[in-house]
Parts: sequence; structure tokens; C-alpha cells
Amino acid sequence: MADLVRAPAKQLGRRAHAPARGPVVEHLAFKLVGETYGLPLADVREILTSPPVTLVPRAAKEVVGIVSVRGQLVTVLDLAARLGLREGTPGNPPLGRKTRILLVPGPLGEVMGLLVDEVLSVYRLAEPEIEPVGVLGGNVAEYVTGIGRRDGVVLILLALAPLLGQR
Amino acid sequence: MADITDKAREEFFSEAQEIVEGLSRDLLALDDAARKNESDPDLVNDVFRAVHTLKGLSGLFGATRMSTLSHDLEEVLDDLRLGKIPLSREVLDLLFRAVDVYGQLLLAERSMDRPTPPEVDAFLGELAAFARRSVAPASRSDEVYELDAGLLAVLTEYEEHRLRTNIQNGFSLYRIRAKFNLLTIDDELERLKATAKPFGEIITYLPTGDGGDAETIDLEVLMASKSPFERLVEALGTGQVRVEEVPRRLAGAPTPVPPEEVDLRLPSGLAPSIPAPVAPGRPSEIDGLRPPGQGGPREGLSLRSVSQTVRVDIRKLDRLMNIVGELAIVRSSLSRITERVRSNPGLRELGFELHRLHRGFERHLAEMQDGILEVRMVPIGQIFDKLGRVARQATREAGKQVNLVITGAETEVDKLIVEELSDPLMHMVRNAIDHGIEHKEDRLAVGKPEVGTIAINAFQKGSHVLIEIEDDGRGMDRAVLLDTAIRRGFLSEAEARELPQRDVFGLIFLPGFTTKATADMLAGRGVGMDIVKTNISRLGGVIDVQSEKGIGTKMTITLPITLAILSALIVHVEDHTFAVPLSSVQEALVHDPSVVRVVDGRDVMTLRGASLPLVRLAKLFGVADDSRPSTRSRAGFIVVVAAGTRRLGVVVDYLEGQQDIVIKPLGPSLASVRGFAGAAQLGDQRVGLVLDAPALVEEVLAGAEVGKTTLGLRRDVA
Repeated sequence: MADLVRAPAKQLGRRAHAPARGPVVEHLAFKLVGETYGLPLADVREILTSPPVTLVPRAAKEVVGIVSVRGQLVTVLDLAARLGLREGTPGNPPLGRKTRILLVPGPLGEVMGLLVDEVLSVYRLAEPEIEPVGVLGGNVAEYVTGIGRRDGVVLILLALAPLLGQR
Repeated sequence: MADITDKAREEFFSEAQEIVEGLSRDLLALDDAARKNESDPDLVNDVFRAVHTLKGLSGLFGATRMSTLSHDLEEVLDDLRLGKIPLSREVLDLLFRAVDVYGQLLLAERSMDRPTPPEVDAFLGELAAFARRSVAPASRSDEVYELDAGLLAVLTEYEEHRLRTNIQNGFSLYRIRAKFNLLTIDDELERLKATAKPFGEIITYLPTGDGGDAETIDLEVLMASKSPFERLVEALGTGQVRVEEVPRRLAGAPTPVPPEEVDLRLPSGLAPSIPAPVAPGRPSEIDGLRPPGQGGPREGLSLRSVSQTVRVDIRKLDRLMNIVGELAIVRSSLSRITERVRSNPGLRELGFELHRLHRGFERHLAEMQDGILEVRMVPIGQIFDKLGRVARQATREAGKQVNLVITGAETEVDKLIVEELSDPLMHMVRNAIDHGIEHKEDRLAVGKPEVGTIAINAFQKGSHVLIEIEDDGRGMDRAVLLDTAIRRGFLSEAEARELPQRDVFGLIFLPGFTTKATADMLAGRGVGMDIVKTNISRLGGVIDVQSEKGIGTKMTITLPITLAILSALIVHVEDHTFAVPLSSVQEALVHDPSVVRVVDGRDVMTLRGASLPLVRLAKLFGVADDSRPSTRSRAGFIVVVAAGTRRLGVVVDYLEGQQDIVIKPLGPSLASVRGFAGAAQLGDQRVGLVLDAPALVEEVLAGAEVGKTTLGLRRDVA
């Protein structure tokens, strides 16, 4: 059910061999409604091929439902809905063949699931490869930490805490 | 590092808590024995040891207040052990209060910066005052026993005291010589002690010095007994054990041994004191303990916790339970593969073997699940001990005489339930004493025995545990209850007239039903009973009241045995599956839309002469497919759920059947979602939400009528 993606990370690192200027942070890249996003790889505990999700009536719209991971209940959020990219459709999540659930640490020690459209790969980004959000002007959401660029790919980098904290 | 310290502190608290609980248990046993004019030196020793251990523990963790208290208590207990002071009611009261003070201290220590509760210093003062008052009277040295000085020299002060007490009580002395294998001596000695216990008391045992070889040792046991020589020989004498009568005038003394060796048998930390050969103290006596109405025996309560236990964090058990859940999934996959193999004619042999393996796996898995559940189970007697203490205190405060009779203390319940149950039970016992049991004069006037009885009985019935709390007090008066309800605006006079008899006692569960002003007039319960009821229903339990004016009141609590596994009815609504705990299901019926009436915008049907409000689950949860016809025209099933005395018919599409489920809480991120008690794995990786039936009843009915409907009192109006 779970397949960790640490192996591709290594291959990628070896192949890309970016000159390390400053600290390098591994980011997991994934697709949401056509755009590419990234989360620090350290924050992703596991990637699930989506198991059956059970709808929780009366929960917030962005809550897709709950899944059982080795006996533990995990609340799954529709990340795209959380980011306001689309309306949440509880009970009828946009599940495709490539849909995955990222298990991440949430507030209060809870493990949360984030529904993403497709997991791409791991990018090792050095500091010069990350543009600060300031370039986008004011009023950027708190959870966007920067823009990563590598090999023509543009990653919108997200931070977990503000993403899950304020709701 | 901080983590380790925190963990150690946690351990300290839980261990100290456990010892204090044990202490409380032993004190109750001591109290009980004292009432019956018996004295059990072992109990006094247990109490002493508990306090001694607490002293050591608290010293280790820098809990100085606790260590001071333990030290002072230890002094008093040591005097008690040695018979320097009698086991008086005053001493017992002091000891019982010490248990409470320990509790307060533990709380204070836990939150580090809390100041010492004022009670602690007050108590220490009293303890000191008591110690000063009861300084042992000058010992009289003219009392002489014909015991060899050599023997006396090796007896500890305590053993000497016991010896003297036994002789004074007219017991005969016996010498038992026994050969023990060095490898098994501990067990054998324990066995000998256990066999000897009913006949008397073992005062000491010493190696004889002669006899024995590299593998065996001869011990000489000095025992006091009331039984005649022949009985004792019959009971104890075997090839390895020889019993002799010690003549009143002891001739040969057993070989003295150096004190260090004697030391080995003593509880740790008790330095042997070697008194002057003749220094008789006063024998222990039980004075004035018999209350004027003879405290009857408490039956069946196992007063002594037994031996080999391990403390386990309940979360670890939950983790094990999760693994069992995973294995169950493996099992169902295995089952599918087995079927496939068996259906292949070429693999018959293999299929058969696989099938057998699968069966074995299944059986062991079930055993494992049962085993884990069993570990979670603890005897309900744990709280009954606390109740004994509360009852004792409450009777003293109320100036009444009450005999607490407990049966079924060994009944086992899930640990979590036991924890949650102790407050409600304590409340109920207090109420029974404060409001139920009459004063002595009143009781005698109506021809009741002057000592009131509160009987607590626990027993298992199917997958439920029933706890009955019954008193022979004045009972509750329906008329007074109704009167109060009307006066306080809970009911109109018309409603009061229509209220079915069986619902009248339910009034006491209304929040704020009684106040101080009316409590006495009510001749019954009330204070905080709404909280009791809430707590019980949170555990999936129900509470039922029966009362007869002038005769007594009986409250029955029905609880599921475990919270971990519960039987549930699996229902379907649209494409969704839900589980309804059977404990809240009264019945399930086929839905006949034609009998549904609409009252004030709500669906209501009549079920056996009473109105039953209906709610369509799909609509309530907002999962209704609006293209389909609505409840009124569509068949289905009605699951009648109850919360206390209120009922609600939940309309679902169909019933799948009954299943045992392991319920898991929803994550904190879903804490604000109401109506669900959690979720459970329903097999083939499917997760189903478990309905919180009482919450749904509350929600639906509270929306309908305000305040008054808490009891469903207006059910006939609709």
C-alpha cells in the first residue's frame, strides 16, 4: 500500500549534481490542478496509493474523509481545496489513477493525509534555486515559502505548519 | 534528559498512587477486622510496609512533604505493630485521613508549583499530638515467660511482641521442624506459611544449624496456635515437616543465630532491634471498635491484591489491538487465496493444507484478540475499595450507621470504564447515605434495623456488566417529586398528571432538579444526579431507578464490558455505511411510510402507544440524494435508538446485520464534527463511522422542544 520515494531521490541527486551552494533541501514535487507544488521531503512520512476513503458527513468541505492506516484513523484533506484551487467535494473526491495521499505530521501530534493529483519526484534545491515569495509582491498566502526552479520546472514551495495550522 | 526525568516522575506518581490505593484497601480490611474484634498482624504489617515504601519513594524523588508525612506515620505504625499502642478507632481515623492527605500531596507534587495544601500541616500536627499522647506506658518487667533467653535474644522486637500476645491469648506454642531444599525454599516456605495460617501464627523461623546438607536446610519454625496438637500434625505434618509441642516451660532452646541472618527475613529497611530479653510491651488490643450495631461482614470482596502484576500503559494495548486488526486483514486475504487454490482441481492437496493453516491462524488470532481484551479487564473491586472509604467518611459526617455490603467485586470491566465509573459511583453512595438512609431513631421508629444497609452488587450479564446500588433507606416519594417538578417549573400540572409512573423517578436526573432548599424535603437523591447520568451514558451505559417509599431505593447501572470492542448494527444510507452501537439500539423495524404523521414540521410515528420522533439519517447528515423520493414515501428501516428515557427513530435504507467492531477515535482535526463516536474497520479495508446515538438523540430532540424535553416528557403531546 505504501511506497516510499526515497530511492528516486538518491538517483536524482546523483544525476543532477547541482553545485551545492548553501544548504540543499529535498522537496517532494507533486501536481495539483495542473500546477507543480513542493513540500519539504522531511515532512512527508509516507505516500499511499489511495485506499478507500470514508466520507465524514458534517466535516469541513476540504476534508475528503478518513482512511485507516495500519489500524489508525487518518483524516484526509483535499489539498487543492485547502489551497482554494477547487471546491471541495467530500464523498466524491477527484480520485484518479495517479492520485496519492501524503501522510504528514499535523497539529496536536495527529497524522494527516493530503490528497494530491500525482506525485512527481524529489528535487534537491539549493538556496540560489529558490526565489523568495517577495518577488510575487504582497499578500502571498502564509503557507507559500518560495518558488523553486530546476531544469525548467517551476515548483511552488509550501510549508506544512501554516497549511494545517490555521483552519 | 528532561524526558527521562519526566518519565521517571510519571512512574513515581503511578507507583505512589498504586501504593496509596493498596494502603487504602489494607486499611479497610483492618477496619473490617477490627469491627469483628479480630486482629490480623499481617495487615498491620502491610500497612506499615506500604508507608515505608512511600517514604523511600518520596525521598528518592525529593517529595519532602510526602516523605515527612510517611516518616511520622511510620512511627505511629511501628508502635502499632509492636503493640505499644492499641488499634483504636482514633488510630484508624488518622490512618484513613492519611490516605486522603497522600492523595492531596500527590496532586500537589504533580503540578510542582502548587503550595502544600493546608490540610497537610494540620494533619502532621495532629499526628504529632497523637504520638505524644500515646507514648507507650512504662513497661512492666515482672511479666515473665518461660522462654529461653537465647531464643528471645534473636527475636526482633516485633516477633517478641507477637509471641507475647499469642501466649496471652491462650495460644499454645508449637515447634515445627522442616527440611527445605535450598533451591525451592522460598516457595516451600510460602506454602508452609499458607497452610499454617488458618491454624495460627508463625512467629519466627530459624535455621537449626544441625541437619541439612549442601542442598537442604533444616528450619525450626515457632508457631502459636489454638488448634490441638493432633489437628496441627494432621494439617502440616508430612515426611519433610515434623510438628512438636513446645512444653510450657521451654527446655532446650533452638540454636541462636547471629542477628545478621535474622535480618534477611525482615522486610527491607527494618533493622532488627534486639531488645533486652525481658521487656514486655502491652499486648495489642482492640478497644471500643464495635459500633453499636455490629458492623456486619462484607462479603466476597477480595481485599488483598495479589502478587505478580505488571503495569502497562493502556496505549500499548491499543497498539497491540491495532496489530490484531491488521492481522485480521491479512487473514481475509489469506482466506481468498485459500478459496482460489481450493477451487483449482489440480491443487486439491495444497488447498486442503492451506485451509487447515488458515483455520489455525484464525483461531489463534481470535485467541490473541481475546487475550488482549482480557488484559484490559480489571476487577471492578478497585473502585469498590474507594467506595468503602467514602462510605466510611460519609457515615461519620452524617452521623448515621451504615453497613456497606459488596458483592461481585471480582467482576471484570475494561480499565477505561472503571476509571470513569468511580466518580459517579461515589456520588451515588454518598447520596444514598446523605438522603436515603435515615437516622437511627427514625429507623427504629419504623421498625427497621438501626444500622442501614447499602448493598452494591456487580455481575456480568451477557456482554454487559450490571451494578446495583441498593439501600434500605426511606425511598423516594413520587408525589413529592412531582410536586417539586411543578413548583420548579419543570412540568406543568397537566404534564405531571400524564407522566407515566415509571418516568417519575427519571426526574431526579434533570439538571438542577434539586437544590439545597428542597433536598431534605425530597427525601431522596438529586444533587448532581444529572452529572452521574451523563457520565454513565458517555460510557455507553444506562441507569435505571426503582424506589419504594419507606423501603428503599435501587439504582441499576448497565454498562458494556469493554469500550474496545462493541457490538454494532451495521446500517446503510445511500452509499454510506454506518455502525450503531447495539447498546443504544432498542429495536429495529421495517419502515412503513404510511403511518408517519407530520407534527410541527417533524415526522412522527406511533410505536406501541407512544410517539416516536423520526429522523432521516441521509437528511440529517446531508448525504441525501435529492433526486430520490423522501422518507414519507419511501420504505426502509427504522432503528430505534435511546438515550436515557428519550427515544428517536433513525430511518436508514437497509440493515446489514450485527458485527463486533473495534472502535477508534477520530483525529483531533475532526473533533468539532458532532454525531460520531469514532470509526471502525468493517472488513475489506472499509472504514465505517460509528454513530454517537445519545448525541444524535440530544441534537434532534433538543432542536424540537426546549428544556423540558430532556426527559421526553412530552412524548404524548406530539
